[in-house]
Amino acid sequence: MAKKVGADRFGDFYIDGGKVRKRREWRGFSDTMYDYSRWLKIMMTLGKFVMKPRNVKAMLRYRWMANYLAVPMMVDRHTQGLRGEYLRICHEEQDLIIDDVAKLLDNLFRGDRRIGNDEEFSKKVVLVDENEMTTVMMGFPNLKCLSRETPSTYVSVLLNQHAAEYYIDVAQEFGLAGDVCPMPEAEAGVSIDDDAPVLGACALQCNTTCDGSLLGNGVISRRLEKEDGIPVFQLAAPLRHREDDVQDYAAQEIKNAIAFVEEHTGEKWDWKHYFECARRVNFATQCRQEWLEMNRTPYPQVFGSNLALYTETNYMAICGKIPEFETADRRITALARKAYEKKKMAAKEYRHRAIIWGVQSHYYMDFLVWLLNCWGIVPLTDMLSMVSTRVLKEEDTPENRETAYYDMAWLTENMIMRNRTHGGYKVLLDELWEFVEMFNADMVILWEHISCKALDGMHGMFEEKAREKGIPLIWVQHDLFDPRIISRQGVRDQVNTYMRTVMNEEPIDPSLEVLHDEQSW
Amino acid sequence: MKDLKHLAFFEKLLLEANNELIRKAQQGGRICIAYTCENTPEPLLNLAGTFSARLRAPRTGSMEIATYYLTSFLCEYSRALLERAIEGGFNFADAIITPDGCSMMNRCVENMELLSALGKGKDKFFYEYMEIPMKADDNGLALYTVQCRNHILKPLAENYGIDISEEAIRAAVAEHNHLCELIRAIGDFRKEENPRITGYEFHLITLATYAAPKDLLIPLLEETLEQLRTREPDEKSPFRARVLVAGSEIDDIDFIKLVEESGAYVCADRFCCGSFPGRDPIVLTDDEDALTQICRQYMYRGQCPRYMDSSKMDLRRIYVADLAKEYGADGIIYEQMKFCDPWAYEKMLGSHILREEYDYPVLAVDRPYNIGTSAGQMRTRVQAFVESIEIKKIQKGGANG
Repeated sequence: MAKKVGADRFGDFYIDGGKVRKRREWRGFSDTMYDYSRWLKIMMTLGKFVMKPRNVKAMLRYRWMANYLAVPMMVDRHTQGLRGEYLRICHEEQDLIIDDVAKLLDNLFRGDRRIGNDEEFSKKVVLVDENEMTTVMMGFPNLKCLSRETPSTYVSVLLNQHAAEYYIDVAQEFGLAGDVCPMPEAEAGVSIDDDAPVLGACALQCNTTCDGSLLGNGVISRRLEKEDGIPVFQLAAPLRHREDDVQDYAAQEIKNAIAFVEEHTGEKWDWKHYFECARRVNFATQCRQEWLEMNRTPYPQVFGSNLALYTETNYMAICGKIPEFETADRRITALARKAYEKKKMAAKEYRHRAIIWGVQSHYYMDFLVWLLNCWGIVPLTDMLSMVSTRVLKEEDTPENRETAYYDMAWLTENMIMRNRTHGGYKVLLDELWEFVEMFNADMVILWEHISCKALDGMHGMFEEKAREKGIPLIWVQHDLFDPRIISRQGVRDQVNTYMRTVMNEEPIDPSLEVLHDEQSW
Repeated sequence: MKDLKHLAFFEKLLLEANNELIRKAQQGGRICIAYTCENTPEPLLNLAGTFSARLRAPRTGSMEIATYYLTSFLCEYSRALLERAIEGGFNFADAIITPDGCSMMNRCVENMELLSALGKGKDKFFYEYMEIPMKADDNGLALYTVQCRNHILKPLAENYGIDISEEAIRAAVAEHNHLCELIRAIGDFRKEENPRITGYEFHLITLATYAAPKDLLIPLLEETLEQLRTREPDEKSPFRARVLVAGSEIDDIDFIKLVEESGAYVCADRFCCGSFPGRDPIVLTDDEDALTQICRQYMYRGQCPRYMDSSKMDLRRIYVADLAKEYGADGIIYEQMKFCDPWAYEKMLGSHILREEYDYPVLAVDRPYNIGTSAGQMRTRVQAFVESIEIKKIQKGGANG
């Protein structure tokens, strides 16, 4: 038990074949008490959630709800080894996301025809995709924009690595090929299994990250429209998002989507609210840029899976609509500045500075924590965090209102992941090497989500460019939602082998090299 | 049946990507525009001085180099094309125009560009990528029109001095329509109870119209149509069931042959490189420019699963059901090329909907690009499907009188 950063052998915390770890980490009195107080806060959030009978009913109705028992464990996985400001930054990010998801669940069940069946509330709900920028909801303060896929599949897999397997099997038993991306596959499986809450005045879908995701929406919209009677608007954002000649189309799609929501909810677009949200989006962008700026130095502060997860939530799902995220942005930035001034480090040794590229494994989101603790590889930034930095118009003028449609369209086109997987090879391939240079990185960790065709299609080119530039590139293959294809240890082994054979290095913490966490949440 | 006079020629033609007619057209000074997706309006690639060739990789064997670049998870069509391009097999093309129809095809062409695999020794060679709509509506039409103008017409005019005027486009449509009418007339013989043309023969003829200059094929098609008018079918049809084949790209001449050898007559073809809807004539009026009308018809008739709006999704299944009815299909084969994401989903939904809502027996299969590599498995599945259709017919006859 150690207060000092990196003094623990983290591998000793694991139980072979267990779901949870042996014990919590001792971080010194102050940090342990802080961590414990945040653990209590999470338990209170969960406690408040289950106090409501409708939520208990939902736990019994929806199979995926069982995964939420693993919430505290998920936070523990991400705080491993952290002390001081790093620990606090992580909790700021994770705890707010948990709070947001708890509210999302509560709202879903409130309106769900099978559970709360609050019809008046349901009329104010607009369903959105999990992988969808919610910019078109920035001007509807009286409406709730809720994603059913976020809690049923996306967050579930973050909590429990095996959460999506059942739904993947459902989709495949229904006839879906086994080689598509397991994320839309699992979402389609939830819909086929009729295991999603039914509510809402209407739904907005988007041609999100990939062909699979786009087509998976067809399965979901069929049930929504034909069985549940919920009208669906499919928002088609252009794929070649860097081209000038697609922007008019994109802006018109935004106008059409807004008109659709107005028609089905009776609400009117509120420009004042939109510009207020736009201001918050700009603030979030400003903070993110400051964090990334720090990450270019030898003392990165906000990085790794926390950065990815927080950016994904804040940039995509929140879009300035929830003021609490602005507060969190301020706090995180203040903590980061403080730690940066003190030249603090998150681990005892930084050996390599890496850009994390590609699509991360959902069932092993805390892999980046492992990477740092086991091999001293600092994940400076990741593909999902390298999103738009465009400054949106904040002032309500007639001219800015027209520009705002283009701003919303731009953000929608540049949704997380899709801003790299679509739009031509330059945004995926060429810009990676620009970031390598910008961040003074000496290594690239390239997640290869094997079912992601857009990424697979650049496999050879990534290798050739890495060789040309003399940058070590470690392929880390995984199947996003399905650890049965490549297990967590399978993921780790790819790094272990490379580091030992190519880099000829020994791990900083050898106890982490092989972990028997196949059954772990 | 007596052999069709030009069948051997069509078969030979389709054995090479750089076929005899392409060479002939290029010797005459015409520009070959390669393309890879049915969402690229063909008449715009067939203006005076140009002709289109949809890229194929016949007789594909090893795809190891392309698999290195694209991994084994991308569909074999994209890998086969890249392999052939790296081998130098598409150097006849003078330009390539590709929409972002699917991620895999996009990556395939991007790799060709990054590897400089096309256009060797051709100074004016260009790659063009274009956005195409995912929904059929006015906004989508505006996008389609702008994209065709910026990524097809403009580069053709600027690089090769091609006439892209209204008159030139209308002339290209007229020629396109003539070819479509011939194909449609030939295809109509498939409606006969004992058809005078096999699905395989029709597939060869149709496929040739994608892979070779259309104007050079027209005399052959006209002659074939005349021959068919008097062709006597065999007294007893060798087929035990009639099927419609729907699904992803088929440019492998052996797939339809295999289905027919297994006892199922392919009476209708709803796949890329098939005649529905690819060989529907384009009706032009004088009150609007030709480009907009072409785009509108491509967009509304398109059956590609990348169209994501609900009405288009519903219409895709209705289209298959209507075709099956019109051509007297007993069953439907939904096929997808292995690793094709769009058709993986469409096949799943389509096969359920056609079976449950339209009461058709449906076989859902995935297949390699080149069926030769797994012919035995596919044959067994089609044979079993044919038997199941026969059994259903018998049972219906018994139960319902």
